[in-house]
Amino acid sequence: MSYMLLIVEPQGDRADRSPADGEALYQRMVDFSRELESRGILLGVNSLKSEAVRLNKRDGKASLVDGPFAEAKEFVGGYFLLDCHSIGEALAWAEQCPAADWATIEIREVGPCYT
Amino acid sequence: MLSSVAMGATEAHRSIEALWRIESPRIIAGLARLVRDVGIAEELAQDALVTALEQWPRTGVPDNPGAWLTTTAKNRALDWLRRQRMLARHHEALGYELEMEAPADDGIGDDLLRLIFVACHPVLATEARTALTLRLLGGLTTTEIARAFLVPEPTIAQRIVRAKRALSDARVPFEVPGSGAFAERLSSVLEVIYLIFNEGYSATAGADWMRPALCEEALRIGRVLAGLMPNASEVHGLVALMEIQASRTRARQGPDGEPVLLMDQDRALWDRLSIGRGLASLARAEVLTERPGTYLLQAAIAACHARAVTAADTDWARIVTLYDDLTALTASPVIELNRAVAIAMARGPAAGLELVDRLVVDGRLAHYHLLPSVRGDLLARLGRRDEARREFERAASLTQNERERRLLLDRSEHVVHAVDR
Repeated sequence: MSYMLLIVEPQGDRADRSPADGEALYQRMVDFSRELESRGILLGVNSLKSEAVRLNKRDGKASLVDGPFAEAKEFVGGYFLLDCHSIGEALAWAEQCPAADWATIEIREVGPCYT
Repeated sequence: MLSSVAMGATEAHRSIEALWRIESPRIIAGLARLVRDVGIAEELAQDALVTALEQWPRTGVPDNPGAWLTTTAKNRALDWLRRQRMLARHHEALGYELEMEAPADDGIGDDLLRLIFVACHPVLATEARTALTLRLLGGLTTTEIARAFLVPEPTIAQRIVRAKRALSDARVPFEVPGSGAFAERLSSVLEVIYLIFNEGYSATAGADWMRPALCEEALRIGRVLAGLMPNASEVHGLVALMEIQASRTRARQGPDGEPVLLMDQDRALWDRLSIGRGLASLARAEVLTERPGTYLLQAAIAACHARAVTAADTDWARIVTLYDDLTALTASPVIELNRAVAIAMARGPAAGLELVDRLVVDGRLAHYHLLPSVRGDLLARLGRRDEARREFERAASLTQNERERRLLLDRSEHVVHAVDR
């Protein structure tokens, strides 16, 4: 089964960090990715830049809004896609994810979006 | 206060079972280096697990539960070694000697690699190898393995006990084989992983979820092996083959669980991420060798299908070339039959039929339902409908699989209707 670990970061934290601190955190995440890879369970991983654009289309009309989005307290800063046996295993890995120390990890099973 | 949902998740999070699955292969591998016996290593690791199950509900889960398990297991192993040494001292008087040194401590990766090679040792029967591999490398319980293979639990338990004893009796050293036996031993490892994969892949809809889980397990072990042997072309080839086959999982069955043939599958249902990983593994396998092995070639064939946007886009000429190479390596009549199909697609049904007829004379596939099935298909395309119908009926009588049988009878009937028209 595939599980997505979404890294949900507080808005503004990245800007408050020094570049050296940011790089140190990033390195911890890279090491964690390597660990997952060596276990044969890493299906995909990426970090996402802070800049964002939002698009929606209503009545055939597209509208664009540039970030930052004042109303949002959090944003998705990256993800891990893991091949895990159970939600328990996905949670055990989420606990080892360094980002749990400064962000929130949201764990979601991959599956159809209708119920 | 936590909601009940969050409580459930928290409990799952604390689930020792999940932790065991993550940590046990490495714990067992590390212990096996110390005690030089995979069976004893597994029992000592189990002891540590039992201790955790007893203590943690009282004391709470330690901050680093994985390290706790590893340390506890290692202490168990050191106790065991101390006892053995005392026994050996008694035995020395009788002329017994302690065995040679344990392999050097060169990191957990090397221990894992040794564990894989020992679990797949040719001294064991194939069934024993697959069960032991799932148990030791996959961290699966006996119950899970039994469900996956659709056999009673005591059968698997017996199989594992006997396998561990066989390894011990044969004094199989805890090491990666030397260059002399390496190729043969690696091929045994890859065979076991692919067998596990196929056991899951051949499962039908509605079957127990543990069977498809075998595909994931095989992929996981394959990826671990690829990480440990980054220069072994065939390991990457096998991972590529499994990834690309697994990408078709959702497209392989119709709404009622009936099998859908590759050429008829809805390619939109193929998992693109899985294909992407498969093609990347294939590329890695290809740069590592001048002489592609059987897994690489099969993966390359699977990749031809994966790359084709529609069935009509399939590069059959390339597939024929790959089958030429594969036939030269395997001399397998099943591969030869697949080659005939590819040739029929590339050069027309008459060219394919010529090869198939040769296989009929050959006789080795006399009881293989796909031989008359393919022959029927080619005859139908050549307009020889009566012969085609008879071949489909013959194929239906040869298959054990009910769904497949129905599909073949359908095709037979379809040919008859075509004649009526």
